[in-house]
This record gives sequence, structure tokens and C-alpha cells, in this order.
Amino acid sequence: MLAFEPRDPNLVLAGLEEGRLSPVEALEVLKHSVELGQAGPAGGQRLEEPSSSSAWRLKEALADLDSLIGLDKVKALVREIVAYVKIQQIRAARQLTCEPLALHMIFSGNPGTGKTTCARLFGKIFREMGVLEKGHLVERERADLVGEYIGHTAQKTREQIKKALGGILFIDEAYSLARGGEKDFGKESIDTLIRALEDYRDKFIVILAGYRDEMETFIRANPGIRSRFPIHIEFPDYTTDELLRIADLMLKQRDYRLDLAARARLEFILTRRAGPGNDHSGNARLVRNIIERAIRRQALRLVEKPNLSREELMLIRREDITDDFSA
Amino acid sequence: MRDRQPGGRLSGMKRCTVVGRPNVGKTLLVLSLAEHLKARTVDVTFMDPSGAKQVRTYTVSAAIRELVGPRPHQTRCLQSIVVEVPAGKGRKVVELVDTTGLVDHIHEDLQIRRAMAQTLQAIRPAQIIVHVVDASTAGRDGSGPPAGAIDRQIADFAGSRGGYFIVANKMDLPDAARGLARLQRMFSGCAVLPVSAAERTGLREVKRHVLRSL
Ligand SMILES: Nc1ncnc2c1ncn2[C@@H]1O[C@H](COP(=O)(O)OP(=O)(O)OP(=O)(O)O)[C@@H](O)[C@H]1O
Ligand SMILES: Nc1nc2c(ncn2[C@@H]2O[C@H](COP(=O)(O)OP(=O)(O)O)[C@@H](O)[C@H]2O)c(=O)[nH]1
Ligand SMILES: [Mg+2]
Ligand SMILES: [Mg+2]
Repeated sequence: MLAFEPRDPNLVLAGLEEGRLSPVEALEVLKHSVELGQAGPAGGQRLEEPSSSSAWRLKEALADLDSLIGLDKVKALVREIVAYVKIQQIRAARQLTCEPLALHMIFSGNPGTGKTTCARLFGKIFREMGVLEKGHLVERERADLVGEYIGHTAQKTREQIKKALGGILFIDEAYSLARGGEKDFGKESIDTLIRALEDYRDKFIVILAGYRDEMETFIRANPGIRSRFPIHIEFPDYTTDELLRIADLMLKQRDYRLDLAARARLEFILTRRAGPGNDHSGNARLVRNIIERAIRRQALRLVEKPNLSREELMLIRREDITDDFSA
Repeated sequence: MRDRQPGGRLSGMKRCTVVGRPNVGKTLLVLSLAEHLKARTVDVTFMDPSGAKQVRTYTVSAAIRELVGPRPHQTRCLQSIVVEVPAGKGRKVVELVDTTGLVDHIHEDLQIRRAMAQTLQAIRPAQIIVHVVDASTAGRDGSGPPAGAIDRQIADFAGSRGGYFIVANKMDLPDAARGLARLQRMFSGCAVLPVSAAERTGLREVKRHVLRSL
């Protein structure tokens, strides 16, 4: 009768939660798992189990957030939003009036400041809280949403929205949708998006992201957006010290480490890049690029050497570090 | 709060889970049973699907005012109350667990689906399962079988076990007598107890059945 044959009662409950099984079907399967002796009726089991697995995953997602370097204000704001959602859910359960959750957000900040990383974590957090069905992130930009002729744009935008249902639609450099003025098809995309916010209320969350100043102008010029995106999160540039700690973290995750000279060189590059008017040119993304490049340069340095030690395989040296990506 | 956890402080405490469709009177049954057992106040532990837990103390009448209502899915999480049931010379401690009503179909609201998954989770470890049905709708004319797919399924799931019985609630309403007869026919081989949670009738029988299953 059923498309799958779960032996694990928790999978059955997940199927019910996710809307793949009706309660009738779920009981049907559970009945057999009891008959199979998989779960005796005896007491002792805790009632919170199904929920506690999602509570546990929620804790984990919040711990992932905390483990990000810096971003103190962002972290505090996320806690606030999580608390707000929880209380709204408890209020709903207690029959108190609740505004529909308005969780669409504006992320402003330079490239590489952690916007995508945080959006992805929000997806996980909201899934475990039962706000989103799936919590996946669909990251899109103007070219994915705007078409070439009348009607094409609405169709393209709707397609991407469909893909994001149950999760988060993350639109990078959102202000580019407003570029080109009245005749530009970008406007059609914004209108389609706003309509979808009403049609698919509670079914997905939209995050608009981009440089701070451009986002501000964009929001000011589009009242329809302003009123529907109540949460604004600013991602500041990382300090050089934070970027170095991000580098250490990325290397550690990959089983590499910097020697002292390499670290000094990286610090020098980051400080120079962070100079005035420089936007930190890439922030964490710059760090990632430097590191990925360094890993390849180290490989080239080692590849002809016989008898490599474990230490040598892990160590990034000064000559591996460069921010010249043209070569 | 910790020591209120099921199976916690009161070791040997038995769990009695109350299930059924939305709006059949599960919550009112639990509260009127607590009242029948001479509780003046009840500590209701709310356990919501995302794991949050809260305890609130109510007088029974305040709890009825706040937790019982005409809308389906008034209850959206597990709500448990610990009561003492006199048994012979002593008394036994029982945790009554009120649950979110189960429906036949796939519900469109994610919160309610999560809450229903919680209900199923609460059925499995219970020593006693009280299955509440609405006798007055069961007795109404032309309405097909007296109880639907989910009721049949609950009876199937729990019926083979010792501590299971059915409460035919709302016996004060029209057509309920006929509904009771139909339910007894449909679930022959299983105790179907006539009750009016609203008028507090039939509760002594319910208490006896709970005690017998301990
Ligand atoms: N605070 C942080 N701690 C640790 N790693 C970080 C932090 N911020 C970003 N990173 C890492 O830096 C990289 C770039 O971050 P992310 O893509 O989230 O930035 P972004 O603001 O979305 O920029 P982009 O415009 O590149 O998408 C990712 O690999 C991410 O894991
Ligand atoms: N007439 C009558 N109404 C009842 C009885 N039991 C419950 N109700 C009403 O049925 C509705 C649902 O009750 P509730 O306990 O919230 O049902 P639940 O959803 O199963 O928990 C409320 O309006 C109650 O007042 C009863 O025995 N007789
Ligand atoms: Mg990004
Ligand atoms: Mg109820």
C-alpha cells in the first residue's frame, strides 16, 4: 500500500510531519512495527522523543551559528528572532491572537561577510522549529529571475519561487532588479515576487541581499518591499583579526595549518586589502580564495618530493600564500 | 519542571493517553475526570512539538474555560495532568495525557501535522489508551459508519492491548443513544462507555476501567 516500508517508527512520524503520510497510514505502519516487535508497548519511553530530535538539531544549528567568527550583532538578532517565533507558536497553542509570522529579511553588507552562510543556517533553524517544511536555500540573482520579453520575467520568477517553496529564496544584489527604471523587466520580477508573498504566505521566506547603500536606496524606492520585509540584518566587514581567525578555522576544517611566516604574510595581505576605500575586497571570501590557492600551491611544491611527513602535508608555508589570482 | 517529566519523580507512574478526532471532547474528559477525582487545581504540563515545556496551574474550572473550545484543534500539543486515583486502601498515581486530535487525511497545516505526530508518539508508550468518540455524530442519520477511518485504525492499533477502551462522549446530546448502540456494534469485543463530559456522567465507569488496567 505504501511507497516505502519504514521499520523505524521515527521515520513514520517524520513522514506524518512532512505530509507524506496521513495519520491513518502512519498508524497502519506503526501497527506492523509493533507486531514485528520493534516497539513494545511497555512504558519508560519519553514523550518528547520525536520533538527532541528536532530540538536537538535546532540546538546544533544554533551552535553552528555561534561557532562563526565575529558577527556578534547578527547572532544576537537571530536569538531574538528565534525567541519571537517560539513565543508566537506557544501563543498560538494557547489560543492567543497571533500576527502571521513576518520573517522576510534584508541582509546588507559587502561580499563575503557571511550573508549566504547565515541564510543557510536560518533555513535549518526554521525547519527544526516547524516554520518551514524543508528549509533549503535557493540562491538566485537577477539573471535567474528576469527574462527577455513581456511575460517571460513573471514566468522565470515564478519558476524560481516554486523551487524555493518550503525553504528560503535568497536574492543576491536584489537592487539590480530595480535597475533600468520603469521599462525594465526587473520591475515585473519585483511585482511577481510581491504577489507570491501573499499567495504563498508562510510557505517560504525571502531574503534580499546586497551592498548596504544600494539596498537602502532600493528599499526606499519600493514601499511594497519595505512593508513586507520587517527584519533587517547588517553584516559588517570583518576586522583583520577576525579574518585571520576565519582562515585558521577554514584550514583546521581541511586539516591544514599555517606556519608563522605564512601567517604573517596572510596578515600583511589582509591588512593591505582592508585599507580605506577597499571594502575589505571580499572579506571571508577573499580568505577562502587565498586558502584554496595556497592549498594548490603547497601541493605543487610537494608533489615531486619523496617521503612526505604528515607534518609537511599539513603545513602551509609563506611561499604558498598569494593574493595574486591572475597567475 | 524536571521532576514533572514523565517517568521521572513519580516512579511507577502509569500513563493514560487520551486520543480521538478533533472536537470529540478529549480535553473536557481529562479535566472532568480530574475534577471527579477530587482535584481542585491541576498542573497542566504543555509539551509542544519543538520540545518546549511549560507547567501552569489552574483551577479545574479555569482550565476548562481556557483549554476546552468549540473549534477543532483547540489542543495543539501534549497536555498532561498527574492525578491520584484511589485504589483499595491506597492510591495510584496516573498521568493523563491529552493529545491533539487525529484526522483521516493529510492535514495542510505543518504545526498540526507535527502535533499529530506527537500524539502517535504518546500512544506508543502508554499503558492505557482511552479512545474518545462523539456519540451524537455517530447517531446522526445517513452519516455512513458511526466512526471513521482513523477511529477504526486507532481501535486496530490499540485494541489488541490490555489497557484500551472507548468513551462514547456527548451522551447528553440528541441521537447519542442511537450512536452508542451503533458504536457498540461497530467495536464489538471492546468496552464502549457512555459518558457526558459536559454533564459529568459516566465518569465513575471510566475511573473503574482505568484502575482495572493498572
Ligand atoms: N564568520 C565566519 N566564520 C567562519 N567562516 C565564515 C564566516 N563568514 C563567512 N565564512 C565563510 O566564508 C565564505 C564566504 O561566506 P558567505 O558566502 O556566507 O558570504 P556572503 O556574504 O554570502 O558573500 P558572497 O557574496 O561571497 O556570497 C564561506 O565559505 C563561509 O563559510
Ligand atoms: N454537549 C456536550 N458537549 C461536549 C461534551 N464534551 C465536550 N463537549 C464540547 O465539545 C467541544 C470540544 O471539546 P474539547 O474538549 O475541546 O474537544 P477535543 O478537541 O477533543 O479536546 C467543546 O465545545 C466542548 O464544550 C459533552 O459531553 N457534551
Ligand atoms: Mg553569498
Ligand atoms: Mg482538546
